[in-house]
Amino acid sequence: MSRNLVELIRRHDGIAAPTALDLLKESVAARGELTEEDLQRTAAVTGLPEATVYGISTFYDDLRAPRGERHVRVCTGTACFAATGGSHVQALSEGLGLDLGSVRDDGSVSLAETVCLGFCHSSPAVFDGEVIVAGPGAVAQVLSDSPTPAPQPQWHSLLPEPVLTRPGDWSGLRRALSELDPQQLLELVVSAEIRGRGGAGFPAGVKWRFVRAAAGDEKYVVANGDEGDPGSYIDKYLMEQNPELVLEGMALAGLAVGAAHGFILVRSEYPESKPSLDAAIERARQAGFLGERILGSDFSFEITVVEGAGSYVVGEETALLACLEGLRGTVSARPPFPAERGLYGRPTVVNNVETLANVPFIAARGAEAYQALSPNSASSGSKLVCFNERFNQPTVVEVPFGMSVRELCENVAGGLRDGGRIKAVQIGGPLGGILPAARLDTAFDFDALAAEGCMVGHGSILAFDELTDMRALAVHLLRFGAHESCGKCFPCRIGLRRAHDMFAADAPVDRARFEQLLETLELGSLCAHGSGMPAPLRSLLRHFPQELSLA
Amino acid sequence: MSDTVRIDGVQLEVAPGTTILEAAKLAGRWVPTLCFDERQAPFGACRVCMVGVEGSANPLPACTTVCRDGMNVSTEDPTARRVAGAVVELVLSELPAAPAPHTELAQVAQRLQVGAELRWPGAVHAVDHDLEHPYLAFQHELCISCGRCVRACDEVQGAFALTAVGRGFDANVAAGLDGGFLHSSCVSCGACADTCPTDAITEQLLLVGGNGNSAVAAGV
Repeated sequence: MSRNLVELIRRHDGIAAPTALDLLKESVAARGELTEEDLQRTAAVTGLPEATVYGISTFYDDLRAPRGERHVRVCTGTACFAATGGSHVQALSEGLGLDLGSVRDDGSVSLAETVCLGFCHSSPAVFDGEVIVAGPGAVAQVLSDSPTPAPQPQWHSLLPEPVLTRPGDWSGLRRALSELDPQQLLELVVSAEIRGRGGAGFPAGVKWRFVRAAAGDEKYVVANGDEGDPGSYIDKYLMEQNPELVLEGMALAGLAVGAAHGFILVRSEYPESKPSLDAAIERARQAGFLGERILGSDFSFEITVVEGAGSYVVGEETALLACLEGLRGTVSARPPFPAERGLYGRPTVVNNVETLANVPFIAARGAEAYQALSPNSASSGSKLVCFNERFNQPTVVEVPFGMSVRELCENVAGGLRDGGRIKAVQIGGPLGGILPAARLDTAFDFDALAAEGCMVGHGSILAFDELTDMRALAVHLLRFGAHESCGKCFPCRIGLRRAHDMFAADAPVDRARFEQLLETLELGSLCAHGSGMPAPLRSLLRHFPQELSLA
Repeated sequence: MSDTVRIDGVQLEVAPGTTILEAAKLAGRWVPTLCFDERQAPFGACRVCMVGVEGSANPLPACTTVCRDGMNVSTEDPTARRVAGAVVELVLSELPAAPAPHTELAQVAQRLQVGAELRWPGAVHAVDHDLEHPYLAFQHELCISCGRCVRACDEVQGAFALTAVGRGFDANVAAGLDGGFLHSSCVSCGACADTCPTDAITEQLLLVGGNGNSAVAAGV
């Protein structure tokens, strides 16, 4: 991202001032569209160039889709696809008489797509005005203008003593402030060997070490709550049902690396997340766990919650930082890494929300106790997994690593509903490989899944039943990939569009050419979006070639 | 203090922080680039500068990878060149017409021997011209979103008249609030036209004079 623009933002405003993105979102919310005056006013208030503001306004889904008085957003995520094959989108479009991305002439109703609303336990889902409806009757509810809020998912733990599903009680921060110095806390997290839960699996403690060692007094902690992976509602659960645990993890990160301010970026597709976190921050301030001189110590820490505006790639860490600064959420080449030059150019630790939620246990109980949570696996700690609507018990479950995917699907989630049979499961999000039913005995941990071309990723376990059309699934995945490409690097910008068009065409796909394209994406792309999107396609080519109409 | 690196067998000493691309230039080796301009910070967007590095399973971008002491680099690594060629092929496939022979894109494509046949043809950018400005012309369909013009305007000129717009395949560049150069903070310095590798932004005079290859000169 442009250093000049970042410096401009810092010189012009304090970090508490609304960003250009905040102002543009406000304008859209107020008037349903952005006018030239809105853009000029945003430029004047933020001190940013007009062109920069215009560029931001063309990047985010929430700013681009035209809005009527009643704005209906239909989820086109993978869980909703698995539930209906996409028929809910067509039914809603026909019922409302609107194409996706259009608004009725009288401005009364608009229809847009969104990926994903995190109601994968109850698909399909539709965001109708301020209400999310979900389940088999969702489209009928919207069309009859009687939307009823869908229930939130349940959660439970398979661990004798829950770690991530235990309500946060700030015991880790208490112990860290009374018994540990920041260096000891840092070493505890390093030796716990906790790997990032947002997809990449990078050791969190190593990241923290870089930030602690980085020059400069001003550092930041950023919690990545941009859980854009369709099929995953794990971070949503944490942010909405257990926000204290996330906040405590952020404060501990701040203590360990020497940061006094943390930011959480949450998705606009999760309307309950920001209010829940804001309320928890207020409770924590009242109780003395956040703010100045926490629990009488020298440590002060503030947390700000920022809401995104519709972009999957903003979940990538450099794009996330650009979004927090209110700029276009495009990926930046590393180095420099955020640990060295992150938010507003300052050393920044960026961790996924679930990663941070593990830290309070480590601080309270130590690294050995943490590693002992998964006795049958080399991966340490526990993991939240979640299941899609095809299962009998689609919930969030805290599990130890090392169980087989079959145990998780059949015993924990109760198999598929209505006697359905699993054809394949996609684990960890759209960049994760697809495991066919015959390979369900694979262990659920970082190494075993990687050996199958899959990944733990976000921890979502998304089943496709036997009715699933695998070529339609390929089109679905590639459409998502092409739509969400940030447009910065060439292989992803052009290659995902071409890959989609090859499968969307009513013709056999030239397998050799398609695989050459996948290689270009895998080896050429700047970030995990372009390099990761081929993984599920490779799985489909490997396990279901006869269903893809290849030439 | 310096690092020792080998580029295609040529050993040289480089200052810490030197990128592979800079080292390759010092060694007199050619590495294809599209989004790189030595007057600007490395951007890492085009992915055409891929090189092989001993010990790395996959090719690495030369412009954003910093040399390490003892690094052994092959600029003609077959995998790296295959990826670079495929990316250039993709870029050619998004243009409605072949780039003019004198442009950087055409020259990189020629040197990589890419373009005779495109493996992944498909949608191309819609023709869209801004010819209002007295000196500068913008043929948006030739834009490959390399970001060089935006960065020239930001890092070299400080006018901030340009921005990347859209995302994915529809990404492009706009001046001001998309009203064209004339209605933006453009100071007519020409830094954008100077750096553009496809003539998407060029000088009006060159179009009027007719280089015989641009879409405008061809009357599209």
